[in-house]
Amino acid sequence: MPELGRFARELRARLWKPAVEDEVASEMAYHMEMLEQDLVAQGVSPADARAQARARFGSVDRVAAECVAEGEARDTERRRFEWRAELSQDLRQGWRQLANAPRFAFVTISTLAVGLGAATIIYAIAHAVMLRPLPFPDADRLLLISERNPSGQEFAISESNFLDWQARTTSFSSAAIFEARRMAMRTERGPEGVRGAVATHTLFPTLGVGAALGRTFLPEEDRRGGDVRVAVISHGLWERQFSSDRGIVGRSIDLDGRSHRIVGVMPAGFDFPGRTDVWLPLVPIPEYPRGDHRNEGVARLKAGVTMSQARQELEGVAAQLATEYEDNRGWSAAVRPFREWYVSPQLNARMLVLLSTVALLLGMACVNVANLLLARAATREREMAVRAALGAGRWRMVRQLLTESLLLSAIGAAGGIALAAALVPIIRATGSEAIPRLAGLVIDWRVLAVAIPICVGTGVLFGLAPAARLLRGARAGDRVHDLLRSGTRVADAGRSRQALIVMSVAFATILLVGAGLVGTSFRRLMSVDPGFVPSRVVVANVTLPDSAYDEERAIVYVEEATRRLRALPGVRAAGATNLVPFSGGNTAMDFAAAERATAEKEGYRSGSWRVVTPGYFQTVGIPLLRGRAFSGEDRFREDTNDATDRVVIVNDLLADAAWPGRDPIGQRLALSNGATMTVIGVVGATRHLTLDSLPRPTMYFAHAQFPWKSMWFTVTTEGDPTQVGAAMRRELQAMDGTLPVTELQPMETLVRLQAAEPRLTAMVFGIFAVAALVLVAVGLYGIVAYSVSQRTREIGVSMALGAAPAQVVRQVMSSGLRLGALGVAIGGVLSLGVAGALRSILYDTQPTEVGTYAIVGFVLLAVTVAASAVPAWRAARLDPVQALRSS
Amino acid sequence: MAESSELLHGTLDTLVLKTLAWGPRHGYAIARWIASTTDDTLLIEEGSLYPALYRMERRGLIEAEWGLSDTKRKVKVYRLTDEGRARLSVETAQWQRFATAVAKVLLPNQEPTHA
Repeated sequence: MPELGRFARELRARLWKPAVEDEVASEMAYHMEMLEQDLVAQGVSPADARAQARARFGSVDRVAAECVAEGEARDTERRRFEWRAELSQDLRQGWRQLANAPRFAFVTISTLAVGLGAATIIYAIAHAVMLRPLPFPDADRLLLISERNPSGQEFAISESNFLDWQARTTSFSSAAIFEARRMAMRTERGPEGVRGAVATHTLFPTLGVGAALGRTFLPEEDRRGGDVRVAVISHGLWERQFSSDRGIVGRSIDLDGRSHRIVGVMPAGFDFPGRTDVWLPLVPIPEYPRGDHRNEGVARLKAGVTMSQARQELEGVAAQLATEYEDNRGWSAAVRPFREWYVSPQLNARMLVLLSTVALLLGMACVNVANLLLARAATREREMAVRAALGAGRWRMVRQLLTESLLLSAIGAAGGIALAAALVPIIRATGSEAIPRLAGLVIDWRVLAVAIPICVGTGVLFGLAPAARLLRGARAGDRVHDLLRSGTRVADAGRSRQALIVMSVAFATILLVGAGLVGTSFRRLMSVDPGFVPSRVVVANVTLPDSAYDEERAIVYVEEATRRLRALPGVRAAGATNLVPFSGGNTAMDFAAAERATAEKEGYRSGSWRVVTPGYFQTVGIPLLRGRAFSGEDRFREDTNDATDRVVIVNDLLADAAWPGRDPIGQRLALSNGATMTVIGVVGATRHLTLDSLPRPTMYFAHAQFPWKSMWFTVTTEGDPTQVGAAMRRELQAMDGTLPVTELQPMETLVRLQAAEPRLTAMVFGIFAVAALVLVAVGLYGIVAYSVSQRTREIGVSMALGAAPAQVVRQVMSSGLRLGALGVAIGGVLSLGVAGALRSILYDTQPTEVGTYAIVGFVLLAVTVAASAVPAWRAARLDPVQALRSS
Repeated sequence: MAESSELLHGTLDTLVLKTLAWGPRHGYAIARWIASTTDDTLLIEEGSLYPALYRMERRGLIEAEWGLSDTKRKVKVYRLTDEGRARLSVETAQWQRFATAVAKVLLPNQEPTHA
């Protein structure tokens, strides 16, 4: 502390502070005057004196300019110095404040750390999944193109149609089709399954990415008769499999039993269509059946063409093709923004919901901290009054309060960011398999560039509350006096705190309603009967390459493999299918009851189809409702070579659609490819794609009649399914050592992965709900306890006058309950308004479900009761004598 | 005057500090005090004095406040700060060493003998 004299001087210097120019001018003018006076005193005439003085001084302007420059530098430095000194004083003061109130500091900082940590991690997820730009140049000019089937669903593209699209449209600068495909790569360690894709050579230029090493495909490499045995590999595979050998181009890679020449390595980070390690040319053939839809498409808009123009043109071309080709009848085309490849509209909705929710939680944290600061400010009123009396300016004190709250938010932010950083690896590990681009989750400068301003902003925001009160108090006049004398609190302090608590409870209500709805939805989703029993089932995929397996051999392989798998110890049943449920694929074909089938294919409906072995239904627990399952006798009969001998099993949905009210067994089913077959059995409907997708009409074909080369084997185990996996791999490998066994996993894993998004959402909501409850409890407890401490005298008086402890308890608790109930009511009404935003991510749950609201209200009121009970109990045990004596 | 200004060049700051060590003064008074104390041997050039004062104020060696002169005019009065006081003693010691050294060379009439 400087001595008082200096303090007073500084104060005066601040009060009267001329501009530097005036300062210099007046100083020099004075000097000249004095000089003149002295000269006159020595006997010089006034006129001469002036002239002499001028002459001695030299160039006044130059000297003055020099002085002004120095003086301005002086003032700037001084201001900066003072600012820094005040800041460090405020910081020291703030630090002391925290150190003196460790409980307050702990509660405040951990509240902030939770709020800011949650906000940071959710923002980081949103950034990784949704906001981060796609790794392709001008990605907003890219479109996903697809066909649209007669029932209006988007559908894969047939290559012959794609060739016509390419030839007849002008909206696109380039377009490509591709199909993800599993491949077997021969390595020294044996066959290894890799994810690959076949794509037209245009894929890379369309995406706008070239090879890092070598080149991508040449136009002639996706033409019939061209050199199509070439491959482009990913940076990851190059590192992993080829030890980053820079001389890799020109060497060969053995895929599905065929040798391919490596022509290029893609740059690190290039990954399309997804987790892809190898790209092979897709050679589109004009004569390819137009009804065979397998490929997905991407196109780049020509400059100046909009998405809707492109859509219009493509639909026009599709309409032409629909009239030109029988197989295209009723089909159209569809165009979507490319970004939906990564961020489905549903995921988008989910992220937006999570962002708003975390904003709510952060809001609650801020409100709570503002409340704590207000309570704290009330206890510091004396200190503030003393400082004001000693001449601290109002703004100076506001600045100090803001500095203190910024200090709090800085520590809270550091804690929050540390918390978020600690969570990153966990979230990445649990979600990145199922959620696209989550693997890129990091807390980097781009996340911090948003998170840190939010932290600072919140610091200012909740710091404003006590500061505003201080300003209001100062405006109200010389309350300083009163405060110094009695130390009473400012009357309206309690009211703003009560408003904040009500707000906090309202926020919590909204959050909990959201959590309740999402939780209910998730529970219902998880209890959905998918139509099969995934527990104790292990699946594995084997793809038979065309080079070594014709249809006949494929049938033999699959029959032999299922026979061997069934013989394994611990295996109860074994089967196989071309697509196991939830593995991410689908197939479709139109069907009709044969007696109503017409040449125009009107009245056909779209259904899914699967190829299965006789044991399949039993292994995955799909119930046989009528008729019989496939047997070993259901096979292609060489002698007649008659397609009409084929049999089909349908699910009950298809049976009801084709033959409503009649027995489907023995009926003839007509397919859009012209085949007809006899229905021999009816099985239960299953959900093929996701838990929340409705089952579709489905037909099952016998593998021995419709041989398929990429098969999923399914076995039911007696005990723990993980025990059988290794034996399963060994057995399949023993049959053909060149084939990789991929996707070996319990079927439950597929189900779990499929529900990753809703699970993550429910998990986050659950965590938020707990945090919100804790914040509400702490906040309510704080305000009730505070009001008890403020009313100690009053309570003491009423007790001395004979109030029973029960009465005191009731009184205190009712004050807490009033706030809680008001908050719940406001929050409930607000929830009704905003819960609709959840609709798109809820499964089988209405945003207005009364039960959820009732439970949330009950829980919050219970928390309110618990939080007010402690201070109420304490109040009831007050000793009236002590209470009256205090303060 | 020419010779005195050369002398002043490095030592003006020190002289100002010393002057203010006797008590706060305004600019004109500082110049006058130096002149009269040195019997007008050292005449302070105003063109150097004021920039020097502002420079020293900026460096925190002296500080200024606005006070009233004998003629009841508002004038800027300079005073020594603690820092300035410290600097003065350093400068004085240096000057003394310098002056003694120079005196050792210039004053004796005989060449000193070395043992």
